[in-house]
Amino acid sequence: MTTLTTQPPQTPLTLSPRTRRRRSPVMRAAIGAVWALVALDFGLILWIVLTSLRKSNDILNHPFGLPTDPRFGNYATAFRDGGFGRAALNSIGVAALSSVLAIAIAAPAGYALARRRSRASSVMSMTFAMGLGVPGQVLIIPLYIGLAKADLTDSLVGLTLVYIGLSMPFTVFLLTGYFANIPSVLEEAAVLDGAGILRTFTKIILPVARGGLTTAFLLQLIGAWNETLFAIVLTHSQDKVTLPVALAGYVATAQFQGMDWGTMFAGVCVVLAPMVALFSWLGTRIIQGMTVGIGK
Amino acid sequence: MTTLTQVTSRARGAREGAPPRRGAGSAPLERSHRRMFWAFTAPAVLFYTALFLVPLGYAAWTSLYKWDGLTGKKWRGLRNYQILWQDDIFRSSLTNTLKIMVVGGVLTFLISFGLMLVLREMQHRMFARSVIFFPCLVNGMVFGLAAGFLFSPTGPVNEALGWVGVHTPPKWLSDTDTPSLIIAVLIWTSVGYYTAIMMAAVDQIPEYLYEAAELDGCDAWQRFRHVTLPLSRDVITVCAVMWTASSVKIFELILLFGGNSGTTPPRRTWNIAVFVYQEAFPQQGTPALGMATAAAMVSLVLVVVISVVLRRVLRREPLEY
Repeated sequence: MTTLTTQPPQTPLTLSPRTRRRRSPVMRAAIGAVWALVALDFGLILWIVLTSLRKSNDILNHPFGLPTDPRFGNYATAFRDGGFGRAALNSIGVAALSSVLAIAIAAPAGYALARRRSRASSVMSMTFAMGLGVPGQVLIIPLYIGLAKADLTDSLVGLTLVYIGLSMPFTVFLLTGYFANIPSVLEEAAVLDGAGILRTFTKIILPVARGGLTTAFLLQLIGAWNETLFAIVLTHSQDKVTLPVALAGYVATAQFQGMDWGTMFAGVCVVLAPMVALFSWLGTRIIQGMTVGIGK
Repeated sequence: MTTLTQVTSRARGAREGAPPRRGAGSAPLERSHRRMFWAFTAPAVLFYTALFLVPLGYAAWTSLYKWDGLTGKKWRGLRNYQILWQDDIFRSSLTNTLKIMVVGGVLTFLISFGLMLVLREMQHRMFARSVIFFPCLVNGMVFGLAAGFLFSPTGPVNEALGWVGVHTPPKWLSDTDTPSLIIAVLIWTSVGYYTAIMMAAVDQIPEYLYEAAELDGCDAWQRFRHVTLPLSRDVITVCAVMWTASSVKIFELILLFGGNSGTTPPRRTWNIAVFVYQEAFPQQGTPALGMATAAAMVSLVLVVVISVVLRRVLRREPLEY
């Protein structure tokens, strides 16, 4: 939004150089290559979806065939034998709950860090930001041991707690940026009118920051949905695993029984489909959330 | 980005400048901000400390012991790291991690930068950007499994290569070629993300700079060389640091790559993340928790050192525009 104000008004006579410039053959070839990449990406996703609707021996004989009659039998098998049904529910639950709680916990902290300029706040911001560089494999063993002591391994509650903790650095960092861009004039007025800081925050700041909160929620949801390392270490019972663990488990058993490609691709699609749906619906917002402000 | 910073610093300036003026609004606000600070940050600090900082410290401490998780810990000190260094599997995991970081990083960066430049000139670029961005939202397992099918010896890729006359294709899924194929798939899933970041940053370069350059007689290459490149330096630094941190975490892509290996991928393909997982939670045998955390600490040190070096090398005075 702020960029618009800094750009000088363009006079109608000046065509931007981008549109005026003639395209060189090199550029035309490059544009062709980009479209080829786009087609490849699109094609791969489409192929995975189509393949999940076909019989295994069909797939092996004609990898690029179309499903003769759309068969949902693969999905039935995946949900029944592969445990993907229960895993999908677990994934939805853990991802949604951990994202909501992560935002609820990180939002006040982000606000406080954006508004208060003191030594404590800058040390704290630094400490949160430091967490962005810590790879998951460093935390996995201590968290496994700690949760085992609290009897929270192989438990969806334990996994949810871990996801909340892991999300803190990024979510706090992201939300601090959003709150810092909200002018404090709003709160000054509210405080002058006698509103307490808690009311000012919930009634005035949060509604204004709704866009940022939604973005943070979406990114956290996507992250939790795809998270694999912690899920695979912390859960193993049939009724406790999330989708990535179910998929890995299915592939591991298929090793002995021979791979049923149709069912495997159905399982892959269960992991993939919600991301396709979410991205078609809120793609621009997701891309913006993950890119704008990163370059700072 | 800079515009955002300007706005915030201006807002901050207004707040900091308030006390001398004794603005009627700022003082009570300042006071209530001070009062709410600890209450507002407490939950986040609590979660972060319990589930992040304490485990981090515990990992550093555990990495100095020999421990199977069942019986007592035995002090080994830094000898754990020495043993790791002599371990062939760890060495190859470290090499793979560095290959992913450096080779994968340089290629991802070059391709993303190129894509960004081309996308800027394209029609329907938002659509194209969205499509190439999408793979980074998908669990790496999906592509690892798809690659296992597509690149299998009698699979579609080899068949297609046969049509164009390549009858001795690379043995994609052999021990020797899989690490390279993994890097290729990783690059393919990551370029869209970095392209989008660079587009967001470069789109903020004001058009008038290009117009001025053109009036000064710059051709397309010179405009790139003297406007785009210097002004995207900050975003390049950030991308490099982000890649460093995210590339050592790659796990699920390798775990199921090829799809024929269940939960124990071939050792030649391991990176440090997979090594830690296999050492600490082996399918059979005793867990080596001390060694595993020591390996994990190596990956952390790698991230810290390389990020600091990158920032040092790429840093310069911020440009205002």
